Amino acid sequence: MTVAAGLGYALLALGPSLSLFVSVISKKPFLILTVLSSTLLWLMSLIALSGAWRAFLPLKTTRWWPYAILVITSVVFQEGLRVLFWKVYKKLEDILDSFADRVSKPRLFLTDKMQIALAGGLGHGVAHAVFFCLSLLTPAFGPATFYVDRCPQMPFFLISAIISLGFVTIHTFSMVIAFNGFAEGKRMHQVFVPGVHLAAALVTLINLSSGGCMVGIPILYFLVALTLIYCGNMVWKRLTEDRSRRH
Amino acid sequence: MAQNRKPTTILDSLGEEIVRIIAPVSTCMFLVVLLVTVLNTDSSPNITTIASIAYNETSSDSIWDKLKGALLNSLAFVAVITVTTFILVLLFYFRCTKFLKFYMGFSALVVLGFMGGEIALFLIRVFSFPIDCVTFVVILLNFAVVGVLAVFLPKMPILVTQGYMVVIGILVAYWFTVLPEWTTWALLVALALYDLAAVLLPGGPLRLLVELAMSRDEEIPALVYEARPVNYHEVDPRTANVARTLWRGRNSGSSSGSVEILDSNSSPEVGLSDGGEGRETRVVVARENQNSEVLPELLAPFVNRELEGSGTQVDGGREGNASMDGWAIEGIGLGSSGAIKLGLGDFIFYSVLVGRAAMYDFMTVYACYLAIIAGLGITLMLLAFYRKALPALPVSILLGVLFYFSTRFLLETFVVQCSVNLIMF
Repeated sequence: MTVAAGLGYALLALGPSLSLFVSVISKKPFLILTVLSSTLLWLMSLIALSGAWRAFLPLKTTRWWPYAILVITSVVFQEGLRVLFWKVYKKLEDILDSFADRVSKPRLFLTDKMQIALAGGLGHGVAHAVFFCLSLLTPAFGPATFYVDRCPQMPFFLISAIISLGFVTIHTFSMVIAFNGFAEGKRMHQVFVPGVHLAAALVTLINLSSGGCMVGIPILYFLVALTLIYCGNMVWKRLTEDRSRRH
Repeated sequence: MAQNRKPTTILDSLGEEIVRIIAPVSTCMFLVVLLVTVLNTDSSPNITTIASIAYNETSSDSIWDKLKGALLNSLAFVAVITVTTFILVLLFYFRCTKFLKFYMGFSALVVLGFMGGEIALFLIRVFSFPIDCVTFVVILLNFAVVGVLAVFLPKMPILVTQGYMVVIGILVAYWFTVLPEWTTWALLVALALYDLAAVLLPGGPLRLLVELAMSRDEEIPALVYEARPVNYHEVDPRTANVARTLWRGRNSGSSSGSVEILDSNSSPEVGLSDGGEGRETRVVVARENQNSEVLPELLAPFVNRELEGSGTQVDGGREGNASMDGWAIEGIGLGSSGAIKLGLGDFIFYSVLVGRAAMYDFMTVYACYLAIIAGLGITLMLLAFYRKALPALPVSILLGVLFYFSTRFLLETFVVQCSVNLIMF
């Protein structure tokens, strides 16, 4: 539906991440590199999943449980990779700290570590938006639009952009929660992240039924709001207790 | 916050050099993708080039024929490149540097004037841009001449030189994407392997060239992109100014297209420097309906890390002075700023890969972009580790080809299946 519409859909999915990138991440080159490497990691996990599932696709069934298995296996795999990501980050943190000692600069602050976690999460979110929404937007730049049968209220591009926006937010902030949870060893944080990811992915299964998207998308955004509030709460608590500890 | 000003941590400036080389590579790739999508016509002109001399691909041939033809084409191309690189080594050995420099300027003029002019004409036709011949010729002439000066003159502002390097890369890369599909992929893989062999094997032409240049302590005339040097905060303004002017003076040799070769033993306390670089590869292009003109250019698909950054310096305060001493005593060695140099051939072949991926679909473009950047990062890390001239093509190209084929055949069905049903995770 013309270039304006295509750009609009792209910005809908990626607008907040773009502003986050420009305001926080572009100032520090290391964070840009973190975003790129976490995007690459997410892409590699997606390729591995598609390789594993290739033999079974395309799923020509109208029942919901093959899709459920697909979603559950994918989420479990990606959460496993998050733990791996954390371990690699731990090693990197040690290298960075020893490097800081060598050039006699202060070690990484808590805010620095959180910024790295945010950059990692943003990389995951951007990868999701790019591969699930942006790469399918090419027809939207042309003269027509497309509707899916199961959700005839809005064009397909609009729905996928809205869902992608939700997932971008979930990915970005759940990485911050996860890293903090692993660092402090708090069970609650560590369980919350896979839980929210799995719940959000399962909620999109509601879209399989006719007219389901009118129910599924609000529930998804409820989960997004939950993640945001939880993350904000946790960061606030951590920063205040860190500040009070230092004085 | 209790403190008014937080002390800066290493996170503020770490990785700056890498980002300074990733940014122009990304710009080049992005513009080539844009050009390819805008100018993508279904009928590709039948150009006879050296790259398709052995076999001209038509869509009706069988897979086996196409594969054979593509391999023959790429072998022919690599053979031509090897021969011309050996000729270059010979010329350099006989100290014909003036000839090489003039040749470099001439090829820059041809690329900017003729290839740039043709692409500009395509764009004018697609967008129906109202411009008359005289204005067009005047603008094109000025553009090309300034480009040649940017390649030659040392005193150009570094942004102009960098901009023209990227433009030359874009133009040459666009012309490479016109080749038929199987030939392009075979060519990319063959060039990656050739790069590996030519740089690392003892008899390789590029290694000979580098060793010649190092033993004579001379620069190789080549088209190279040079990232801006990074100025760290500890250097106080006085020494910073001097260091900057001295860097300018040194940069003069480099931005005229030649490359500085640093002697790794010269200044141990200032920093480590890598051995030389400067590898030329030939780009062969011809026009339609003409015999294949060989139009070689001197490009240098190499990565050279001029100097280690602040990592190995002793303490922050002394850094400025150490750099000054290093300058005064040695005359070579760079102070607290380091710069990474990437040959223009690397820019070109990365962009060719991404441009060819754009001809299929955008999903492959994103995947190949990430693969190439990852390969570049790995190459830079290896450079910091091994400290000698390294080929920049193999890792990126092989990763890019791998990601292209896995995205095209595996990822696409998976993602489309999920998205059309509005299932995401």
